[in-house]
Formats: sequence, C-alpha cells, structure tokens
Amino acid sequence: MLNVTDLNVYYGAIHALKGISFNLQEGEIVTLIGANGAGKSTLLNTISGILHAKVGTVEYLGEIISDEPAQAIVQKGIVHVPEGRKIFAKMTVLENLEMGAYTVNDRQLIQDKMEAMFERFPVLRDRKRQLGGTLSGGEQQMLAMARGLMPNPKLLLLDEPSMGLAPVLVEQIFDIIQDINHHGTSVLLVEQNAHMALSIADRAYVLETGKIVLEGHANEVMNNPMVISAYLGG
Amino acid sequence: MNKETIRTGSQKGLLFGIVMIFLVLINFHIMAATMISKVLGTNVLRGAFPEVRFMIIFLVIFGMWAGWSAVRREGSTTNKLFEGLIGGMTTGLVVALFGLILFFLLETQTDVRRYLTALSFASIDIFLLGLRGMGILTLFGLFTLTGVLGGALAVGLRSQAVANFIKKIKTSIRNLRQRITDSLPDNVKKYGKYIFYLLLLVLLLLLPARWGSYNNFVFGMVGIYVILGIGLNIMLGLSGQFMIGIAALFAMGAYSVALLNSPFPHGLMWGFWPSLAVGVVMAVIGGLLLGLPIMRLRGDYLGIVTLGFGEIIRILLNSDLLTDLTGGPRGIQNIQQPTFLGMPFNDVSYAYLIIIAMAVSIFLYYRIENSRTGRAWLSIKEDALVSQATGVDVQKYKLLALCVGAAFAGLAGGIFAARNQFTGPNDHTLMVSINVLSVVIVGGINSIPGIILGSFALRGLPELLRELETYRLLVFGALLVFMMIVRPEGLWPASRPDLEEKGNTGLKEDLDPEENEGRSDD
Repeated sequence: MLNVTDLNVYYGAIHALKGISFNLQEGEIVTLIGANGAGKSTLLNTISGILHAKVGTVEYLGEIISDEPAQAIVQKGIVHVPEGRKIFAKMTVLENLEMGAYTVNDRQLIQDKMEAMFERFPVLRDRKRQLGGTLSGGEQQMLAMARGLMPNPKLLLLDEPSMGLAPVLVEQIFDIIQDINHHGTSVLLVEQNAHMALSIADRAYVLETGKIVLEGHANEVMNNPMVISAYLGG
Repeated sequence: MNKETIRTGSQKGLLFGIVMIFLVLINFHIMAATMISKVLGTNVLRGAFPEVRFMIIFLVIFGMWAGWSAVRREGSTTNKLFEGLIGGMTTGLVVALFGLILFFLLETQTDVRRYLTALSFASIDIFLLGLRGMGILTLFGLFTLTGVLGGALAVGLRSQAVANFIKKIKTSIRNLRQRITDSLPDNVKKYGKYIFYLLLLVLLLLLPARWGSYNNFVFGMVGIYVILGIGLNIMLGLSGQFMIGIAALFAMGAYSVALLNSPFPHGLMWGFWPSLAVGVVMAVIGGLLLGLPIMRLRGDYLGIVTLGFGEIIRILLNSDLLTDLTGGPRGIQNIQQPTFLGMPFNDVSYAYLIIIAMAVSIFLYYRIENSRTGRAWLSIKEDALVSQATGVDVQKYKLLALCVGAAFAGLAGGIFAARNQFTGPNDHTLMVSINVLSVVIVGGINSIPGIILGSFALRGLPELLRELETYRLLVFGALLVFMMIVRPEGLWPASRPDLEEKGNTGLKEDLDPEENEGRSDD
C-alpha cells in the first residue's frame, strides 16, 4: 500500500532522514519506534506532504505521491494526526471535526461520519459545543484522532498518540487504534512508548539518527536484545 | 499611625507629584483649567488663558485624588485621614519644589521654550496662581489640605453604609429592568432585534441630512475606518497574518480613483464608479503581489515586511521619480466628483455612500466568516501545520485572505480620495496603518460591533473633542493602557453563540468526582 524508497530529507544543512526505505501492507499496523530526534516525525511529515524529500520517493497505491502538496495527499486517503494533541483550541469540538472533513464536500456524509465518531468517542458527544482547548489531555487526543478519521482515511499516520497521557488513557487510546484498524484502516504508528506500540503492531521498524537500524515482526523486534535494552528498559 | 501609613502616603504622594510636574511640562494644566472654565460657563478664547480660580479648581480635584488614592483599605479612620494628609503633603512638597524652579525661571526671565515648547511665562504664572513666590507656599498648603479632604472623602465613601446603599440601588435597578422585560408583550421580545435594526436604519437615513456637514465629515471618517478595519480583520483576525502596511493598499484604491478622475497628471475622466472598481481591483493585485513573496513569513517578521511595504509605497508616491505618473509630493487635486442618476454628490450623499459601503462590507464579512473559507482561515490562524494536515491549502488561503482584505482597503481608499477631492502621500502614512491596527485591537478582534466602536472611539471622538487635539496621543496612550487592564480582549470582544455555557458543562463536572473518572491525566 505504502512504499517508501531511499528517502532523504534535509532541514537546511541538517540531514534528517538518511535513505529510509520501508513498506506498509493494506490492513497492517506498522510502528516506527525510536528516540527523540531519530527522525520519526520528519518521516511522517514527509509522507503527508508537509515536508518534501530531496531524494527518494513515497509510493502509495502504485502512485508516486512524494511531490504532491499536503491537501492532495489528504484527498487520496492518507491522514496525518500530528504529535502533541494538536487540535484547534479555539474551535468547538464540532468545528474541529468539521475541519477534519474539510476535503469532504458531501454534507450528509459528514453528518454520518460525525455520528460515527460520537459513537466511538462518546465523551466528545458530551462536549461537542465546548472549545477544544477546554478538554482534558486524553479528550484532546481522542478529538485529534476523531478529526483524523473524519475524511474516512485508508491510511492513518499517528504521531505519538500516547504522549503525556496517564497509563489508563494510553491503554484506552491503543484499544481505539486497534479498533480503527479492525474497521479497515491501515495505521502507521510512531511511538516512544515502544512496549505498547509493539504489543499492537504487526510489524515494526526501529529508527536511529535518520536511519532504519532494525525491522521485522513486532514479536521479533520486541525480543531483540538491543531493543530491550534501549527502548523497553530491560 | 505607623510606618506603613507614612510609606503608603508618601509613595502615592510622590507619584501624584511627579504626574503633576509632567502635566505642567506639557501645559496640560492650562488645558484642564480651560475645560473646567468652559464647563462652568466662562468661555476662553483660543490662545487665551483661563482665570486663576479655574486653575485652583483643577488643583483641588487633583489634590483630592492624590489624598483619596493614598488611603489604604485597612486601618482605623485616623490612620486613613493621616494617610491622606501625608499623601497630600508629599504631593505638595514635590510640586512646591518644582514651583520653586518655575519661580526661579520666572524671576530671571529665563525662556525655556526652546526645550519645553509649552512652558511659557504666562503658563508658569497661572500655575503659581498669579502669586509669584507666595504661590509656592500656597500650592503646598493647597495640596496638604485637599489631601486630607480626599482622605476624608475616601473614608466616607468606602464606608459600609455607602456600600450598602449602592448595593440597594443596584438591586432595585435590576428589579426594574426585569419588570420592564416581563411587562413587554412577547411579540416585542421576539422581534426586538428587528425593531432595533429598523430604528437604526431610520436613524442612519435621517441623520446625515440633518446634522450638518462637519458631523458628516466625522461620520465618514469613522465609516472609512470601519471598512479598513474589516479589511484588516480578515487578514489579522481571521487568517492570523500580522499586517501593518494596510495604508499601501488603501493608497492603491485612493490613487486609482484620483488618477483616473482628475485633470492632472493624466487628464483622465473615467468617472467615479468605474474607477472605484479599478481601485478595488488594483488593491487586490497589490495584496497578491505583497503576499506572494511573504507567504513563508509569520508573526513579527511578517509585520516588519508589511510595514516596509507600506513605507515603500508611500516613499515612491512621495518621490520625484514618479511625479509624472502619480503627482509626486503635491498629490492629486481636483478629483472629479461622482454623480448618481445625474445628481452631483455633496456631503450628505457621501454619508449615504459610506453607509451603503459599510453595510455591504459588514454583510460580506459575515458571509465569508461563516463560510468554508472562513473556517479554513481560522484553522490556519490557530495552527497552520494541523490545518495543512487536514487538507487546507494553506498558501492559497493565506493569499486569498490578503486579497479579500485588500479589496476592502481599496474600497475605503477610493471613497476617501473622492470625498476629500484630493489625495497625496501624506494621506497614506504609517500612522494610517497603525490607526487601523488600533481600531481592530482596541475594538475587539473578529468583532464587527467592536470595530465600529473602536473606530468611533479612536477616529470619531478625537474629531469631536477638538479641544483635546494636542493631547490626542496622550489620551490615546492612556486609553490603550487602561483598556489592556480593564478589557484585554477589546471594547466589544467577539462572542461565540454556539458555545455552551460554562456553568452546565465543565464546571459542574469538575465539582462532581464521579464524572472525573478517567480524566486523571495532565
């Protein structure tokens, strides 16, 4: 579904991604783990068209998308949920969800989708007329994910959904990710919480200073001694 | 009486003394006395000085204010009176020392007007109450006395009895209002809004024809700034782009109307209406040209670049380089007046034109704000990155905001130039941009009533208060500071009707531990 080949991304003179290649099959949850500054968010930003690669391609459903602008990529069905619970704080929950469906033109479809989101995230229904910024951290993360699901994406790029949340909420969020996946959305999950990420992922890639140093099935990666010592605190 | 008493009193007294010195240095005491004199029915001719008794009234008010503010909330009555006394005495002392210097200047006939333009001998003489040396002692005595009086006033007015009395009045006013609302028939309540709009419409139709050309001029100025404010608000308030050079876009509208409608320099006579349309289009093109190179800038950098753009346009218009094209520093005179159905325009028709332009602008603004485009702009303002991630073409919408805002600025400029029958580089200075910015910020960002109120407060009031003219900037600064403290979101902040009341959502659940389960993060 997604095929990334030899991706090189620069911030000015800084070489952030040094030839990354990986793939994601339809229906999978693939996780990218790595420390701060490894280039995880850069990779997601490049796939979603916010950044552009100097060298290398991103291929999606047999089509090269690495030169397309972000809005075209959203329309093709890849939605990026940026890290740090980035919601529109001064818009209501309803407006946030409407913004999520910005690329959808069918009112009825938006209504149905919104109803579906309220089913999946009941807490958002209770707060639909509140400003996004007044929600708690967990609710904001749910809102960010719901907003990402509004245009019915085929592939969801999640950037650190567990960041700064209490353990109970982290589990809840990961249950939701699995549920989203069971409903047919492929997920590319970037995480620092390697343990949780590996427990729900099908496959995993380990990123270090802009390069992929390890890849494999989630179970294998979880049992790799290097991963255990570096990311799982074993 | 204790240390604290002396300290508070002397601190406040010192402050008021310094303020008094400042006021005298800018000749404000003469202006205040003149105003008091006029209020009490004795006219003062322009350039003449008020009588000494009015100066005394001003000083008494000031001294009592000093005494009042020196009184703390705690402490016994004697203590409070003492604080007032200390406050007044300190003010008196500071002012007396200053008076001594002034007296010295007066005696030696040293003219300091080269450095302090306002400080003339007559001004000093009146400040010393016409008593020369004795005036210094009199000032000290006056401030000491009025300090105690102010303290006594504070003790009296802050007492429990007075507080109860005020509370009672407030309650009865509220009751009365409730009773009036209840007694109104349902129809009136339901259509109250429409009745209000109808009254406003009638008022706007009747007033310009009746209240004279000067008021029409002031009203027009306010209206033009409302349109400019709406334009700037689209850039600043809706799409979050910090634009300071709106005067340049204003100039494009104004110069289009001027150049296409005057005997000099091109001799073109296109008529007002087509050239107004050209003006709007030119401003849009200006917005586009400004926008293209600065799309990647944000915040203060954007502000600096747009400020530079505004200045470049003004300097170009002012330079000899373009004299043949734009009239140069002398501007463009004798702009042909518009006609409507064969009737030439006068001040009343301009007032109507501005009302219509304002109404159209407000209508368009509301339509855009509540559209998909408006939503996209707001999302860019909040977080351009997330906005992009949800599929908004950030660059396109930012450019669009600049162009739409520019269209309003061009419209305002065109009307402005035609109404003045003249436009020149000095109509489009940096001050215009800053004034528009102030109108939007003082009034309340994203709030049309706020922009109207701000425009009236900042553009209309100074015109009506011609007396204050020299002190306009002083009052303006004081107003800005005051507003930042009292109403940080503007005179009439934007309200969001679709928000739920705080009382029946967040607050209740915060108090209810059951509901808080699973929200223990952060």
